[in-house]
This record gives sequence, structure tokens and C-alpha cells, in this order.
Amino acid sequence: MDCNMFRELLSSYLDESLDEDRWRSFRRHLRECASCRKYALSEDPSLLFAAAPEPVVLQADVEACAAAVTAGIRRQRLARRLQRRRRPWLAAAAAIMIVIAGGLFWKVTLGGDGGSSAPGIEASVEGNVEMAPPTVEVEMAGEEVRIYQFAAEDDSGTAVYFIVNPAMEL
Amino acid sequence: MTDRGWVRSAQDGDEEAFAQLVRRHSGGLHRAVARILADDAEAWDVVQMAFLKAWQRLDRYDSRYSFSTWLYRIGTNLAIDLLRSRSSRERTHKAHTEHHLRLVGTGEGAGSSTDRAEADRILNQIVGVLTPQQRSAFVLREMQGLDTAEVAEVLGCSATTVRNHIFQARKALRREVRARFPEYLPASERR
Repeated sequence: MDCNMFRELLSSYLDESLDEDRWRSFRRHLRECASCRKYALSEDPSLLFAAAPEPVVLQADVEACAAAVTAGIRRQRLARRLQRRRRPWLAAAAAIMIVIAGGLFWKVTLGGDGGSSAPGIEASVEGNVEMAPPTVEVEMAGEEVRIYQFAAEDDSGTAVYFIVNPAMEL
Repeated sequence: MTDRGWVRSAQDGDEEAFAQLVRRHSGGLHRAVARILADDAEAWDVVQMAFLKAWQRLDRYDSRYSFSTWLYRIGTNLAIDLLRSRSSRERTHKAHTEHHLRLVGTGEGAGSSTDRAEADRILNQIVGVLTPQQRSAFVLREMQGLDTAEVAEVLGCSATTVRNHIFQARKALRREVRARFPEYLPASERR
């Protein structure tokens, strides 16, 4: 592109109406020709930004970026792996919570000793329902404990077990 | 190897292939983001975030499009989000404290690194008058030299919208340069 052509195309460049090839030729000339650059900047100072050459990026910065990104990827992978390992613990914790909640529920509704168990006790007294005797009692030889199993005769699917140390019985 | 080859390997979990993409594109993305944010150091953080996001979403990358365009889209969106979260007070303060100038860009040595630094410094001071979209369109097209169609793809808008953003940006920048940097006016117009 010569200087005359450059000056002719200046307004088209500013209007964004040049095709891509001419647009690139115009920019190349703007950067290479000092007199045309001076003319163009006097016409429109916003061309200062098109006239500026591309900044140089240091290779060290690029390598540092690549290292940081790779480290980030490894952290993400490790975090995902740890998350997967944590899941069985979460399941176990959830199971323990369910057992505790079930125990509390049983204590409250079927006659535990706590203060909040009063409604459960009253209900069983008013209904003259007696607790079923233990159906199974097992001495654990060598373990110094005794196991009681409470279960209704008509419900073989439900049972409550107590492990008792006879030395501590009143 | 082409970008497409590196991307395929990276999609199979190859970290080194992805590192090659970082080496190839981080410089260009950094230049664009640094000019959009007017902050060189913060731009490297955004570039790293953009690559990590790209890694997480590699399975969603559509190979019909250029990897660099897709990457620029992620990086530009992060930069725009960051710009929106910044307070205008902070930007104004920075613009006033950095106000010191030299006349360059018109001599025989124009087009040098000094001119580039000066253009970046002036842009950093006046870019606050542009909206994030105008700023991104202007930087990608006028300073980075991307095609209009590519800028439209990066910004997720039409080519006409890109031209309009650039037209409005140029108008605002011309006004700001004339008001704040009279050195760039022809001698006949200086007071």
C-alpha cells in the first residue's frame, strides 16, 4: 500500500468499512510509515492504539503460566480424588446418625428413662401394655457380658439387643 | 502438532498436551486481557483462570471452532466480569494518580516498544470511559488485530454489534485523547 492509497482509505478504516485484506494492509502501513502515521494521528488520535506494535511477552512468564496451570489441574484432580474417598465416610457418618436418631426415637416413644420419655411411658401404662420379656438371653463365655434380645413373637423382623456386663448389674 | 491434536490429547487427560496449548496461547491472551483490564499482573491471574476453566470444560469444546477463539471467549468473559466487579472510584483514582505523559508516536522511530508502552499507558488512563463490551471489542479488533467475525464470536454478538462497539469506543477515546492529551492534536488545533 502506498501513501496516497493509505490517505484515501483512512476514513473507510475509521468507519470499519474496509475488507479484511485492506484493513490489514492499512494497519501495516500505519506502523511502518512515519509520515502517514503522523498524518493519521492528526486526523484521529484514536489511531494511536492501532499504530502501537504488539507487546512482547517474556518466555519466562509463559513458562510460569504453564507451570501454574499444570499445578492447578493437578490440584483439581487431587481434590476430586479426595472427594471420592470421602464419600464412604459420609455414608458411614449418615448411617451412624440414623442409628442414633432411631435410638432416640425408640427411647422417646417406647419407654426410655429420659425426661422427654414421659408421654411414651404414660401411653403404655394407660393401655396396660406390658413390655415383652426377653426372649433370648445369651451368656458370652470369656467376654464377661450377657446379651438380651427383646422381640415380639408376631414380629420376627424387629428386635432390640442389650449387651450387659453382669458385674455392673444392681 | 496443531491445536486440534493437542486438544484431542488433552481431552484424553494428557496434562502435557494442555501445557503446550498454554505455551502457544497464553501470550496472546495475556496481551488482550491486560489491555482490557489495564493491569498487567492481574491479567496473568485471569489467563490462568481461563486455562483452568478451559481444562474443566474441554469435553464441551466444539472442534469446528478455533481453540484460540474459544479460549479468548472464556478469558474475555472473565475479564469483563472482573471489570464489572471493580468499583468506578478505584478506577478513577488510578487514572488520576498515573497522569504523566510524553509526546511519542509521531517520530521516525514510531512503532517502537516505547510507542507501545505509551499507547498502553494512555489507554490505561482513559479506558474507563468505555463499557466493558466496547473496551473488549476495541482491544481485540484495533489492538490485537482479530477479524470482526472472530471478535463477534468471542463476545457472543453479531459483527454489526462489534462494529458499533468499535465506532462508539473510537468516538469516546478520540474525545478523551483530545481533552487530556493535547500533545496528540495537530499544532494548529493546540491552544
